[in-house]
Formats: sequence, C-alpha cells, structure tokens
Amino acid sequence: MKIEAQGLCKVFSRIVDGEKKKSGRKEDFFAVDHVDLCAKEGEILGVLGPNGAGKTTLLRMLGMLLSPTEGSVRLLDEKAGTIDDLVQMKRSIGYLSENTKLYGRLSVRELLHILGRIYDLTEEDEEARIAQIISVLGMEGFADNRIERLSTGQTQRANIARCLIHSPEVYIFDEPTLGLDILSSEAIVDFMKKEKGRGKSVLYSTHYMEEAQYLCDRVVMLYQGRVIADDTPAVLMGQTGSDNLRECFRVLMSKCGSGEGQDA
Amino acid sequence: MRKQVIRSLYRKELLDILRGKKTILMMIVIPLILYPLIFVGSMLLASSVLTASTSRSYRVGFEGLSDTDAMEAFFESHKEAHHYSFIYYRPDTPEDHEKLLRDKKIDAYLTESVSENRPSYHIVYLASETESKTAADMLRDILMDYRDELRDRAIAEAGLDAEELLNPILFEYEDKSTREESAGYFVGMIIPFLLITSILMGAVYPAIDTTAGEKERGTLETLLTLPVKNLELIIAKFLATSTVAVSAALLNILSMLLLGIFMADSMLNIGSSGMDLASFIPAAFITLLCVMVFAMFAAAVCLTACIFARSFKEAQNMTTPVLLVFMIGGMAGMIPQLKLTPVTALIPVANVSLLIGEIFRFHFEISQILMVLVSNLAYTGIAVVLMTRFFSSENILFGDASSGMKLLESRKDMKKGQIPGIGDVVLLFSMLLLVMLFAGSSAVLHFGLFGVALQQLLMLGLTLFYAWYIRSDGRKLFKLKAPRPAAVGAGLLCWLGLYLICQVWGTFITELFPSISMENTEALVSLWKGQSIWFLILVIALLPAVCEELIFRGFLLAALEKRFRPAAAVILCGSFFALYHMSLLQFLVLLPLGLFFSYIAWKEGSIWPGVIFHFLNNLSAVLLQENRKAIADSLPSVAGDVPTVYGQLLLLFTGIVLFAGGTVLLHIGKAGKKA
Repeated sequence: MKIEAQGLCKVFSRIVDGEKKKSGRKEDFFAVDHVDLCAKEGEILGVLGPNGAGKTTLLRMLGMLLSPTEGSVRLLDEKAGTIDDLVQMKRSIGYLSENTKLYGRLSVRELLHILGRIYDLTEEDEEARIAQIISVLGMEGFADNRIERLSTGQTQRANIARCLIHSPEVYIFDEPTLGLDILSSEAIVDFMKKEKGRGKSVLYSTHYMEEAQYLCDRVVMLYQGRVIADDTPAVLMGQTGSDNLRECFRVLMSKCGSGEGQDA
Repeated sequence: MRKQVIRSLYRKELLDILRGKKTILMMIVIPLILYPLIFVGSMLLASSVLTASTSRSYRVGFEGLSDTDAMEAFFESHKEAHHYSFIYYRPDTPEDHEKLLRDKKIDAYLTESVSENRPSYHIVYLASETESKTAADMLRDILMDYRDELRDRAIAEAGLDAEELLNPILFEYEDKSTREESAGYFVGMIIPFLLITSILMGAVYPAIDTTAGEKERGTLETLLTLPVKNLELIIAKFLATSTVAVSAALLNILSMLLLGIFMADSMLNIGSSGMDLASFIPAAFITLLCVMVFAMFAAAVCLTACIFARSFKEAQNMTTPVLLVFMIGGMAGMIPQLKLTPVTALIPVANVSLLIGEIFRFHFEISQILMVLVSNLAYTGIAVVLMTRFFSSENILFGDASSGMKLLESRKDMKKGQIPGIGDVVLLFSMLLLVMLFAGSSAVLHFGLFGVALQQLLMLGLTLFYAWYIRSDGRKLFKLKAPRPAAVGAGLLCWLGLYLICQVWGTFITELFPSISMENTEALVSLWKGQSIWFLILVIALLPAVCEELIFRGFLLAALEKRFRPAAAVILCGSFFALYHMSLLQFLVLLPLGLFFSYIAWKEGSIWPGVIFHFLNNLSAVLLQENRKAIADSLPSVAGDVPTVYGQLLLLFTGIVLFAGGTVLLHIGKAGKKA
C-alpha cells in the first residue's frame, strides 16, 4: 500500500445564508467526511466528483499540506506522529495542483537546483537528475528562461519537473490537465502512465471523464465530502448499466438525490 | 533546523525579491537618486529664495515725515551695511499709500507722528505678502540704526561714554566642545531618524513581497509541498528581508554621506578638512552594528504585520501603522530631554534612535549599547517565534485570520462560548493600557481614591464588554466555578508563606536598587491620608482583587491556556500581571505573587482562591500602613525601619516552610478539574 486514508475528516466553518434568523452566522460542516481510500503500487487512482465535493481538500490532506480534523494518512505504511514526521513524509510525495504556481522570477534550472538542495540531493546527483529531467520533459529550449515568460504548456511541464526532482513514490495531481491544449495534456497523461509503469502510485483528480475512464485503474467518487463509489471504471459502469464513466457518474449522483451531476 | 534547507530557501527568497522591479526601485532609486534630488532641490530652492530676497530692490514710500530728505539720506548711508537696496517712492502730490501698497506699487511705507513728546514712526506693510514683510523688516533694521545713532549722539553731548553707559558689563561665549563634538551633536539629532526610516523602507517592501506577494502569486502552496518546517521557512524569509533592509540602509548611509560631503564642500564652504574624521570611526562602527540589529528587528516586525494579509494591498494597509509608530520612535533622538536610561533602552525603535544619537555625541556606555542590542534581538526573537506559530498551513491556504482579533467580526457571526485568541488579548490590553494612562490617571488626579476605584471599574467594564461581545461563556472564561475548600485552605498556607517571602524579597530589592525605591507606593499612600479604613479596604483591597483577577486570571489566562502549554500560560499571565504595575520594582516584587495566583487559578480551574489571596494581600498592605508604628514597635526585628538580617532570615525560613507545606497539601487529594 503506497498511500492510504483512514476515516479522514476535515471540518471548515462557513457563513450560512438562507433562513433569516440564522443568516450570517457561522456553522461548521464536513468538507471531507470520513473518507477511506488507498492507492497501491503501480496504480492510478482517480478522484472524481462535482465542484465542492471535497476533492482538493482531500488531496491536500493526503499531500500533508493540511492536517485532518479526524482520521489519519498512512504513507508507505508509516503514520505521521509529530510535525517532523509530517515534514519528512512530504519527501515521498510529488504534489501538483492548479494552486502550486512556480516562482516566475526564477528560471526552471534555478528552481530545480534550489529544490534539489531542499530535498537533500548531493551536488552530483542533483546535476545528473536535473539534466535527465530536462531531457525527459523536453525542456532544453527554455530551461534557462524565467518561468514568467513561459507558455502555459511549458509552465505545466516545469511544474511536473518540480514534482519529479526528488523521485517520489506517490504523485498527487489535482486537475493537472485543466486548461491545457491536447498536446500538453497528452504529455502529462503519458507521464502518469510511465510513472505507473515504474511502480509508483498516482492519485489524480479531474473533471474530464473520458480521460479518467481510459487512464484510471480505479476511481473514487466523492459527493458532499463522502465516498459514494470506489471501484474499477469497468465494474462501476457495469453496476450502473452505463457504457461510459460520465453516464455512470450521473446515475450514481442521482441515487444520492441530486441533480448537480451536470457540472461534473 | 537544517542549515542547507534554510540556505536554499534564503537563496530563493533573495533571488525572488531582487528580481522584482519594484524592489529595485525602492532599494536603489529612492535612496541613491530621489533623496539627493530632494535635498539638493530644496537647498537650491531655499538659497534662491534667500538671494532673491536680498538682491531685489524694495520700493518704500515715505508719508508725512518731518524731514523726508534727511531720512532718505540716512537710509542711503546705512543700507550698504545690511546689503539692502531701496527705491524711494516720493510722489509730488500726496497719494493714497495704502492703495499703492495693495496694488503692489510699493512694498512698505513709513509714516511719522508724535506721541509722548517723541517722534513715533509707523511701518505700514502687508504681512500676507512676502515682499512687503521683507521690506518692513528692512525698514525696522534701518530705523533701529537711526534710533541708536540719535541715542549715542545725545549721550555724547551730555559728556558721557555711550558704550560704557549702555554696556556696564561685558560677556561672551566660549565653546569648549571640539569641532567633532559639535558636528556629532548635529549629526546625532538627524541621523537616527533618517536611518530608522530608511531601514524600515528597505524592510517593508520585501516583507510584503515574501508574504502577501507569494500568496498573491500562488507560490505559497508550492512551498508547502516541500519537506520544510515552518521555522525554517520563516527564518529564511526573515533573513532575506533583513538582508535587503540592511543593504537598503547601507545604500542610504552611503547616499547621505556623499550628499553630506558634497554639501559641506561645495555649498557651505566649510569643508571637512579641519575635522578629525578618524574620531568618528568607533561611532560609525557601533552605528553599523545597531543598523544590522535594528534591520533584523524591523524585518521581523514587518513580516509579522504582513503575515495575515491576503493581498498586497492588505499588507500595505497593515504596514502603514507600523511605519507611523517607527517614525515617531525615530524622532526620540531629536528630543533633547530624552536620554538613554535602563527604561528607555527597552522601548523598541526609540532605544536605537537614542543610542545612535548618544554615540555620535561621544557619551555612550558599553552596558547601554549591550542593553539596546540585546533587547532588540529579544524582540526580534519573540516576533519570529510568534510568526512560526501563526504561520500554519490553514492560515496560508485560506487566509484565515481567526487567530486574529474577534472584535473585528460582527457579533452575530460569532460562535457562542468562544475563548478569546491572542489577537484579542493584544487588542484588549492595548485598550486597557490607554484607559489606564489617560482616563485612569486623570481620574486619579481629579478624584483621588475615587478615581482609583473608577479606573479599576472602567478596566473591568471594558473586559466584560469584550467578553460579552465575543459571546464567550462567562462562567468558563472567568473560571467562576467554586473552588475546593481544601484547595483554598492549602492555598492560604502557600500564600502566607509567599507573603513572608515577598516581604524579604521586597526588602532585598529595595536594598539592591535604592534609587528606584517606593516612589509609587508613597504617591498612593499620600492619597490614603484621612480616609476611613473601610473605604480604604474597599478601594485598595477588594476592588483590585476582584477586577484584576477577573482581567488577568480570567480573560488573559483563558486565552493563553488555549494557545500555549500550561506552564507557559501561567508564566506569561504572571509576568503580564507584574508588568501591568509599570515599574521595575513592582515588577520584581509582584512577579512571584502573579505566578502563584495564575498557577492556582489554572490548577483549580477557579478564580476565587486568587481573588481571596489577592484581597488578603492588599488588605495586609492597608492594615500595615495604617498601623505601621504599632507593629514596628512590637516587632522591631522584622518590621522595623532598619530590618535586621536575623529577622529577615527568620521571615524567609518561616515563609518557605509555610509555602512548601501549602504546596504539598495542594497536591494531596483529588486535584480540581483542570481548566
């Protein structure tokens, strides 16, 4: 088991609107509500769900960016006890989301060097690793340009390079293909498949159902912070009698008494 | 902490800051180009105004003088001495001089009348017109010459020596200070302010850039994915900000230095030739050290101010008050009466300003320098530690300022039964301080002891209002739970012991620091005279016991307990209580008591034991004061005016035995519910 969530919860407070008397008051709610999931070696696990289902919060807890209100995360069969453990465990994770922007004023190479130092790579390892990453991701042309001058696709490749530098065991990608053109998102999908082939686990959330159907070994469907389905795409489609994941998702959601499936 | 991680993060921060165009603008363009421009520009402007005022010819009119020709001749013969130049306006036919004045045909005019048997001259001018005012001043100067000349002539005619008669004694100044000292005096007034503002300017921008700027650019979440501890992150940011602040300060100093040399050489023609510049080297060296330490302090303060900000704009708003406070503190060096003392050495900003001033005046002591440097380092350390606590990922990701001030939220948004946060404590205590300093002290001044009572009630009222506003549960917040009787008994023993120990401790401290003896107490005691004992007990013993305990062991302790470990909360609460009495002596004497009250309130989860012991403590002070003579007579060895070592040791020993016994009893049996 590469990464595992056990009864993971996160409580946030929000301002209530609606009823007059309570309007404007703050109340607590579960953004993530007792979620169990696990990703095995060489597996791509898709985390799907409508906006506000708690995907990002869940992935942030798995990536040790947020501390859970309840429950725990086991990474490579270890559980974080102290804050120092938590910091150490981040070494085995490559985390990417649309919020992990890069330092625009640095060049890709400078950024990778700084990160290499933080991840405790030796100088020689670092040089070799950076050269390798730059050639694998085809970044020779722009590795010394400032990141703020790169195109969206180039920036996303730089961002992947950032996740790769310390060769983590687990990748957590929050909507990595959002807003990218076909070529750039294909590059990312290929990357995930390649890493899966090397025995790494990939946790990945997306709104693109076709992409998930073709890429994921298993999918976890989240709705209002809870897991409503956790199986291979084929089994789920069989259970709901639909021939694609999009349809399957809609059926599962309507079972939970909601018509919000459209925005998935 | 891992050095390598901090070094990498530091490198990243510096690269990031230094490649921002705005930073470079703030750091280089302003000190190296703008300041000199402003200085030289204003100098040129001032000198051009000055030359214009003396090079111009002023038109003056004479009206109704007894001898206009003689007056004009006198003017002509004396104008050279003043470098004045006049054009006389003497119309053949009489004209309306006031109208001419208003039409700016003439700048001022002179009329003559007779009063008290003497000619009386009137200088008529328009104070609202610069030229007219200058002309009027010139007329006055010449008329004064005229008066002196007439006077001297009259005295000479009487056969006397005018010079001797008018100046029966002679005196002159003799300045023994060296040129270096006079220059240092002047430099010491101005340099601290300029340095402090420039360091701050250098710190503000990078502080905003590395906190709110990162948040706005979306790179903070990236930073959080790295295996880096909060402390390492903050220290790297802090070091980078300090570096930029120091460099900015150095650039500023360089710029000022060049400007100073340029002005001295070319404009004022004094030159620095006669001055032994080498004598400034130690001063410059210590100043440099101060600049470094102060830059770190400024960086820490700016970062703390910016860390909650969600955007650049918000961060700028947060740093504005910091800028103001720093500037006011920086002016401390310009106030001649303000000297560096053990107390002022602890006031942030002002201490550096004063120290640099004193250094340039060549009277500094090593102990003072150390005190200023150490206090600045301590404040910096506190700020860094606070930041690491505030800088949690929840705050960063959601800009959640819930550890900030609840008073800023609307009351209906609040959850019931809240415990105040550290921000609330800071806010409430700043308000309490204001109440105490202004409302309180004026109340005491006007109403005497009633004022003391009023001050206490005002402070309690404010605290209760705050607690009500944030919808906290009063019973829980103020620990109104009834205490265990056994705990009160055991606590009583402890307090009695501590009371005796504190008496000895107080005597010891008074012996140690005779200079800061009981001034405060004496002022208070003078208010006591002629009051009934019951009234004294009410105002001096009962009210403070209730009010101060509710404020410190209630509100403050609850907030601290929520944030810190119990030991830290008790120590902080006790120290705040002692600090609040605002004198070093009182602080040292009251610290043990404050710690004890806080400890028992925490341990028993009840405020009442503290209230009782606080009351007893103050009561004993009242009764002692009222019956001092009788007690001193009956127990001369312990309570007499000259305490004996034997008596003190006896008191100390009894105190320790009682305290130890009480402590043991307090821990025997079931402990009260810990809050």
